[in-house]
Amino acid sequence: MAGIRIDSVTKSYGGLAVLKAFSLDIADGEFVVLVGPSGCGKSTMLKILAGLEEATSGTISIGERDVTDLAPGDRDIAMVFQNYALYPHLTVRKNMGFGLKMRGTDAGEIDRRVNEAAKILGIDHLLERRPRALSGGQRQRVALGRAIVREPQAFLMDEPLSNLDAKLRVHTRAEISALHKRLRVTTIYVTHDQTEAMTMADRIVIMKDGVIQQIASPDVMFREPANLFVAGFIGSPGMNFLKAKALATGGSVTAKLFGHDVTLPVANAAALAGKEIVVGLRPEHIAAGPGQVSFAVSPRLIESLGSEQYVYVDLPEEHRREANSGGEDEARRTSLIARLINPEPRPLEATLTLSFDPARLHVFDAASGEAIR
Amino acid sequence: MRRRSLRTIALYAGVALTCAILVFPIYWLVVTALSEPSQLRQLPPSFWPAEPRWGVFGQIMAERPILLWLGNSALAATGAVAISMVVSVLAGYSLSRFRVRGGQSLGLFILTAKMLPATLLVIPLFGIFRNLELIGSLWSIILAHATLIIPFTTWMLKGYFDTIPRELEQAAMVDGCSPLGAMVRVILPVSAPGLAATALYGFVLSWSDYAYARTFLTNAQDNWTANLGITTMKGEYISNWSDISAASILVALPILAIYLFLERYLVGGLTAGAEK
Repeated sequence: MAGIRIDSVTKSYGGLAVLKAFSLDIADGEFVVLVGPSGCGKSTMLKILAGLEEATSGTISIGERDVTDLAPGDRDIAMVFQNYALYPHLTVRKNMGFGLKMRGTDAGEIDRRVNEAAKILGIDHLLERRPRALSGGQRQRVALGRAIVREPQAFLMDEPLSNLDAKLRVHTRAEISALHKRLRVTTIYVTHDQTEAMTMADRIVIMKDGVIQQIASPDVMFREPANLFVAGFIGSPGMNFLKAKALATGGSVTAKLFGHDVTLPVANAAALAGKEIVVGLRPEHIAAGPGQVSFAVSPRLIESLGSEQYVYVDLPEEHRREANSGGEDEARRTSLIARLINPEPRPLEATLTLSFDPARLHVFDAASGEAIR
Repeated sequence: MRRRSLRTIALYAGVALTCAILVFPIYWLVVTALSEPSQLRQLPPSFWPAEPRWGVFGQIMAERPILLWLGNSALAATGAVAISMVVSVLAGYSLSRFRVRGGQSLGLFILTAKMLPATLLVIPLFGIFRNLELIGSLWSIILAHATLIIPFTTWMLKGYFDTIPRELEQAAMVDGCSPLGAMVRVILPVSAPGLAATALYGFVLSWSDYAYARTFLTNAQDNWTANLGITTMKGEYISNWSDISAASILVALPILAIYLFLERYLVGGLTAGAEK
């Protein structure tokens, strides 16, 4: 086991830069999740880390060793692929032992390690089967087993759960986390699913267009997003955004939201006055009924999940942000979503009073998108 | 229900007709081989000889060095296929996996060699082999057949390799294989059906050649291939078509046997990529 240092790694295909100065220090035994939308460069970074792609510039060290120019097999890492990449012509036993055999490990030792890993993963009864005779979940375990038997310095996982059905995904997610706690091997896990990132990571690295947007623990990332992108990406449903103007009122700064002058939770009030801002409000921080700031709405749509309700409301025109070229969902720009826990059944036609606590608001610079605290 | 059964009948009738059209030449070859030469031109023709000449096969094997010709054909086809497979596996894999400047154009350029008629290449190949003193040697047709086989098999294999996920060799490389090792240890075993189909295609192409053998081997009787040997059974004024047909059947049998042996792989190879 070892820590990993990624220093100013870039990757370009011709004129197209897919990774821009990516730097990250990963502690020994840490579980780091790279998350972001498709095309953000997370899988490219993982492949560069594995040695399957060459970085245009920058260095990578695993432990004390500079592995930038080493072949994948010399880096002492193991990788779990999205489609598992099990060798179809080999049995499960031979799949799991393949890496050890390549390293010239003694046959008895290979058998011992394969049997041990198979027992940990509960696949010891499948060892003589071929991959085609396994279910998706079993293949996933074999892929994990193939990584475990190597006892590598680090595990690299490239969206390993995305081919599983929803129920199995939740189950396997918990198993991978438990496995990490047991083995304490440094793990870099790539996903586009923010729920996976939030539930599994010690630290999340969120990426967009090849650039790291924020590196933080799941809780910090949820409570203190660095910018509009992070705020919108983390959380399900994502944060609501309302366009507003900051106004200086005495020693504090306020914004007019739903017709109320609402005091914004920012420290440097003077610097903010007069600025165009975007106010962020998480759906779960909106409550049904009157509160500190209340407003009446006519829901456009109510989705009930039994234990919670998603109430969709059209945003007033003055709070709608301009459409940008970033491919942002139009519905998200024009609506507000409230996530009501243990709600009472309510008809769609009824007018509803919602409220929020101003201390829960997030404030972003409308021009740069950066968070203001 | 009635419409459905009519459609089924029409479908089976169509399949039966197609099979009959395909099988008829083989059937007629057998009828010709087993008939007395004098019966071949009678009208109306006989669809099965009254007294089949079952001994014709033993007779022509005694009269002609058929086994030597078959051995030469097998040697030439095996050599050509071996060379072609080594070249086209590496070329097809490279075209499938590595993106290099002009790679796609190079791939298409290889295919243009297949578009040229074989007879067009005879003259330059003759010149080359004469300089290399290979005229009359089996090596001449081994190399000539390889030039015929490689362009097409390269593309067949490229198509097959395209259906194999890249992650397989990436996993092998993470497990400690070199790129070549990953190809040999993982990609080639996984590609066995495609390799078998491709090799069989090359073998048939080489086995059925006449033009190259006629040009390069005419003066070397010990190296005649089966197809070249059979044509010598045709006389200038009289040809015994019964014997020629019997020899043709003997020459076709090895291919048929190989096909039946590899059929399982062949179907897998030809339908690769059809499964989602």
